[in-house]
Amino acid sequence: MRVELRCCLDKFFTALTWLIIFAIIIVLLLILGPILSKGTSAVLFTDTVEFRKMQVALFSRGNEKQLFAEKNQTAAARQKVYDAIDNFKNGIDTKALTEKVRNLYRRCGQELRAKNLSNQQYTEIRAILKDIRDRLEIAFASNDKNKILENIGYVIQYRQDERFNGTSAHEFFTIAENFSKSVENTDLAKLSEYTKELQEVENLLTQLFGPRPGLPSAATAINQFGATRLDLAQSLLDKILWKEQWVTKENQKSLVKTRTSRSQGFAGTQIEPIFEYLKNDLDKMMLPKFKFYWQYFIDDSTPGHYFGGIGPEILGTLLLTLLSMVFVIPLGVISAAYLTEFSSDNLIIKIIRICINSLAGVPSIIFGLFGLAFFVLFLLPAFGFASKPCILTASMTLSILTLPVMIRSSEEAIKAVPATYKEASLALGAGKFKTFILVTLPAALPGILTGVILSLSRVAGETAPILFTGAVALGPVPRSIFDSTRTLSYGSYDMAVGDRLAMMVPHNQYGMVASLILLVLCLNAMAIILRTKLFKRLHGH
Amino acid sequence: MNLTLETKNMNEKTIKIDSKYFSKCDSVCQTESEPVIVSENFNFYYGSRAGVKNINMNISQCCVTAIIGPSGCGKSTFLRSINRMNDLIPGTRTEGKLTIYGQDIYHKNINFVNLRQHIGMVFQKPNPFPKSIFDNVAYGPRLQGIRKKSQLEAIVEKSLKSAALWEEVKDDLKKSALALSGGQQQRLCIARALATQPQVILMDEPCSALDPIATGKIEDLIAQLQNSYTIVLVTHNMQQAARVSYRTAFFCLGELIEYDLTSKIFSNPSNKQTEDYITGRFG
Repeated sequence: MRVELRCCLDKFFTALTWLIIFAIIIVLLLILGPILSKGTSAVLFTDTVEFRKMQVALFSRGNEKQLFAEKNQTAAARQKVYDAIDNFKNGIDTKALTEKVRNLYRRCGQELRAKNLSNQQYTEIRAILKDIRDRLEIAFASNDKNKILENIGYVIQYRQDERFNGTSAHEFFTIAENFSKSVENTDLAKLSEYTKELQEVENLLTQLFGPRPGLPSAATAINQFGATRLDLAQSLLDKILWKEQWVTKENQKSLVKTRTSRSQGFAGTQIEPIFEYLKNDLDKMMLPKFKFYWQYFIDDSTPGHYFGGIGPEILGTLLLTLLSMVFVIPLGVISAAYLTEFSSDNLIIKIIRICINSLAGVPSIIFGLFGLAFFVLFLLPAFGFASKPCILTASMTLSILTLPVMIRSSEEAIKAVPATYKEASLALGAGKFKTFILVTLPAALPGILTGVILSLSRVAGETAPILFTGAVALGPVPRSIFDSTRTLSYGSYDMAVGDRLAMMVPHNQYGMVASLILLVLCLNAMAIILRTKLFKRLHGH
Repeated sequence: MNLTLETKNMNEKTIKIDSKYFSKCDSVCQTESEPVIVSENFNFYYGSRAGVKNINMNISQCCVTAIIGPSGCGKSTFLRSINRMNDLIPGTRTEGKLTIYGQDIYHKNINFVNLRQHIGMVFQKPNPFPKSIFDNVAYGPRLQGIRKKSQLEAIVEKSLKSAALWEEVKDDLKKSALALSGGQQQRLCIARALATQPQVILMDEPCSALDPIATGKIEDLIAQLQNSYTIVLVTHNMQQAARVSYRTAFFCLGELIEYDLTSKIFSNPSNKQTEDYITGRFG
């Protein structure tokens, strides 16, 4: 009976252990899964012709010939949309039309004067032109359909008049005809609403397609290209097709989000069909293609990470991490060696130990401030360097942050080396120092590497200590260790704290965080492989 | 050949040991030769507790001297005093005199690092370094400043042959020493001790962690080595002492009770305590 009970308990505990292990794995997957999968979309995604344009323009990468063909193809498809909008605008944008008519009137006057007419003729024609202008202006300013048509009709009657030959006056009639055409199909009461909506649609189209061909190129890189990714394009299309509004519903105090179709808003106008067209033929206008953008890991980015990759961030993180390891490994190992092998256990050593242990619990921002005060403001000027945050100071700060971890793990590793090794070495005539260098240290190396792994992971992900000592959100690729650098951790932080542009490229945020995780994993994997190899070499199996 | 125990301070007189002690060993260790290790009223204290008391003992050259006795009787303490390994324990001190080749090894000018190169030691548990077999044996010579590969190879081969291990490991000298069996590891440790060309080899229960076959091999090895080295062997195994040693010392409670030829100790001990111990009636 007792044996059975024991077996039962044994199985129960085994099951419990497995359960906990599975639970941990599931929790890990739940946390890391979305980050990694969304981060993948920064590298594996469906791009658009705008992406290829951007790659050629900013990174001189891609097939320019093919791109030229693609540009023409998409421009033709997009032109339909632009044309429809332009035509409609001619009908509704009365302010612009008024301005246009006035300019035209002035031009015609000049042309008339140049024609060498008699004074009487000139006055006559001038009066007619003025009349046309005024009538058109009345028509543009009016909300009454009949009044408009009446005025337009008055203008049109002069169409065949030969007196206007040789001037630009015929443009008056084109404007008048176009206007009357739009007015016939348009609900004039909604005119101001149309204008507002159209402005919104046009803005969205600029985001989707980039600036209109023919217009001057935008100053910032962000505005030079449209949606570079299909998912971005589709979300913009959705915004074009559906208008989001917060409205009060009956008996409800709070605002409710509603989606209304824009094509309904423009029902009956020339604009209406373009929504359907955009929806169905987006592929023609954007030419989506599947893209494996591996250069994401080496490319520089435009400010705000709107375009491009995270190359400088990865470089900066690697530099910081490895440089801080260069500082912390010797410092940690030497300290640990002194504490374990070469010091007697007196009061001072005890105090030092307490200090090291409490150092491990100090918040990392304190280290950041210390690094700013000591390394940046004191140490660099003391050695004649410019007092500015740089990779050197950041990695020094990071190495101080992780020093306690390194000392503790090295101490444990050195203590774990069997005393018999040391005895054997001493009995062969080696001194204490040589014994440590030749026997204890190599035997402790796998354990020391464990400490390296721990500090490596800590250092790579820290943001607070490098905040003031060497990390920047924007800046050039570092050329020496006396330059400040972008890092993955600081970049992730910067993108997370309310950058307007960053909100538009969520894949970049995830990509950066996922890259950080992968980078730490890679560094750790290398250290673990090294440790395993060392262990094998030491123990022969 | 001169045994030079260099002083730490170069200004002080360098103490040299007369070469007369290095006369060729007798092929068979049956005749009494010059004493190599001489202990006169030697006391060793761990703090205030005495480890060994009043030891007077002459250990002869080219001869196996076994030290037997119950646990805690000071055998190992005495053995470790010979190469000053006890110095590592804080708070120890000595009284009396312990000389090797006429040189007081507790003289303040002795460089004990140098001393230990002349006195090899084999420990209770096989303790090869976690390095390759080659590096293990070459460790001592390298410390002495030998850097040339060919020279090191020659020393390693010679030492491994002397330790009767060459045939077993000659093909994989690059293998980790920890991959060897316990008996092989212990013979490797002996080879490592031999590589520094010591005059004296101290063995602290070298077979206590080994099985009978490995023990037999080590004992054979000791029998071979006694022709060229002065061996001091601490053992719990009285049969072993009887088998391999020429002289035997019996320690009890930190004192040397009896020291005589092995044949006499095991057949006709003069002391009652010794008789009780070797016949198993002790305590």
